[in-house]
Amino acid sequence: MSIHQISMVLDLNKCLGCQTCTMACKKLWTDGDGMDYMYWNNVETRPGQGYPRNWDKMGGGFEDGRLRPSELPTKLDYGQAFEYNYEDRLYKGGLQAQPHEETQNGPNWDEDVGALMLGENYYFYLPRLCNHCTNPACLAACPRSAIYKREEDGIVLIDQERCEGYRYCMRACPYKKIYFNELLGKAQKCIFCYPRIEKGEVNACARQCPGRLRFVGYLDDPASAVHKLVNVYKVALGLFPEKGTEPNVFYVPPFNPPRRGNYGKSILEDPRMPMDYLLYLFGEDVIDVIRRLEAELLKAQSGGTSEVLQLLIGRDASVRYQIPKHEDLIQIQGMKKS
Amino acid sequence: MKTAAVLVFCAALSSAGERILTAGRTSSAGALEPNSADWKSAPAVSFALQRTPLLYATDAPAALEIDSVQVQLLRGEGASFLRLEWTDKTQESFSLQPARSKRQPEQLVEQTPATNRFSDAVAVMVPKSPPADGVFPSLQMGDESHPVVLYYVDTTRGAAVMEASGRSTTKRTGQSFPAKSVYRNGRWTVTLQIPSLPSGMPLAVAVWNGTQQDRDGRKGFSVWYRTN
Repeated sequence: MSIHQISMVLDLNKCLGCQTCTMACKKLWTDGDGMDYMYWNNVETRPGQGYPRNWDKMGGGFEDGRLRPSELPTKLDYGQAFEYNYEDRLYKGGLQAQPHEETQNGPNWDEDVGALMLGENYYFYLPRLCNHCTNPACLAACPRSAIYKREEDGIVLIDQERCEGYRYCMRACPYKKIYFNELLGKAQKCIFCYPRIEKGEVNACARQCPGRLRFVGYLDDPASAVHKLVNVYKVALGLFPEKGTEPNVFYVPPFNPPRRGNYGKSILEDPRMPMDYLLYLFGEDVIDVIRRLEAELLKAQSGGTSEVLQLLIGRDASVRYQIPKHEDLIQIQGMKKS
Repeated sequence: MKTAAVLVFCAALSSAGERILTAGRTSSAGALEPNSADWKSAPAVSFALQRTPLLYATDAPAALEIDSVQVQLLRGEGASFLRLEWTDKTQESFSLQPARSKRQPEQLVEQTPATNRFSDAVAVMVPKSPPADGVFPSLQMGDESHPVVLYYVDTTRGAAVMEASGRSTTKRTGQSFPAKSVYRNGRWTVTLQIPSLPSGMPLAVAVWNGTQQDRDGRKGFSVWYRTN
């Protein structure tokens, strides 16, 4: 258990699916050899296969306090890194630019496909990163004690010196957010931009997000937006709570208007997407969250002020991020994560 | 409780009747060649292997696909040589590009070829110092009073010296040692050149089968043999 817990809240109603966060992370952390297929931050279309494909059905996490079995994702599950015949196309002409091999899967393979409900298409974007869980299954599974959770901020890291590339962590992570660099023989993962966080700077994925959907701060800091959204307003939930790892990345679930407009039916009575799907992703608390958000929406529509919605607008960085420098962390006092 | 059961299991095996590995002699470093004539002077002893009990809830049980290793020992000037040979239907050994610390901007990154494969490997375990009290270390990487040294050969990544004083304590020393591995006709032959093993020094062997996703404590292991 860490003393403080850094956390991120992502408002899925604002995600554009532009992958700017993905590229910000890729350029900063995963452009080295053996990291070609790694997207520590990715954005996937939901419903959809995800990245790696079908990660949500592979297993991992805990069941009755014990690690649940899981498959190990293959390289193809993550998707190919395509190269194109640009030189041929540009200098020889007459050819169509083509990938160098047959394309079978990619990290954003089914972008914008979604699914149908009552003949109408629906989908939303789900940005994902390591959840820096309170009860990390990766840490529990590592026989080398190479994975540790930092006391000062709860960031989960892999000691690259101790890691032997056994990949028990990859199997144990129910979110499949640990990757294997075969050239180095090491497991690698999102580090929550800890060198930036230590200096009071927000993560690269959040800093670059044009949709302003990411909120970052300490869950135990009563003044932080993440604390308010998760613990006070209770409008943000972790993915797959039943996996037992207690994720510290939270999502404001999509709460689109009722499917057929305002005919007196609520979002829950006439949803634009099957509530079963949101229940699958976020657990049964999602119904109460939708109710709360709808109530806030009605309050604003009837001329009142909704603190929650004002906060979710996230007008500027000072509203979205409250990240004291590490040397100032001692100043954060108050409640523990509930 | 499970760990305790495993320890008892290992202790019982190690205290079973005396097993001897008789050494031959060599005068040259040519013994590192798997087909060197020097090996004709060293009697081969078949070390029976057992699968380790399942140590992780996430593990799937594994059959005993590799049930023994032929072991030979030669003593030379300032070094000992070991030749290990076993049957393995599939070769799990890969050629990997080295990861570059610096890459030119116009160069593409080297790709990770696979994420879910594991190499065939073998290791020889010896006590860090001869067991003066007559007690062999635990087969689970020794213990605090009886540390062990591991000469580990990964058929993909090469040789590495490790030390341990109990399970989960294994760490690389940063040193390596001369070793060769050859896969032919469904058999691995691995030769090692390690520091001199004094007569009476115990020795145990472990084999990792890549196709069974072996790594870490998921492996086949022998009990202790005393060298003479």
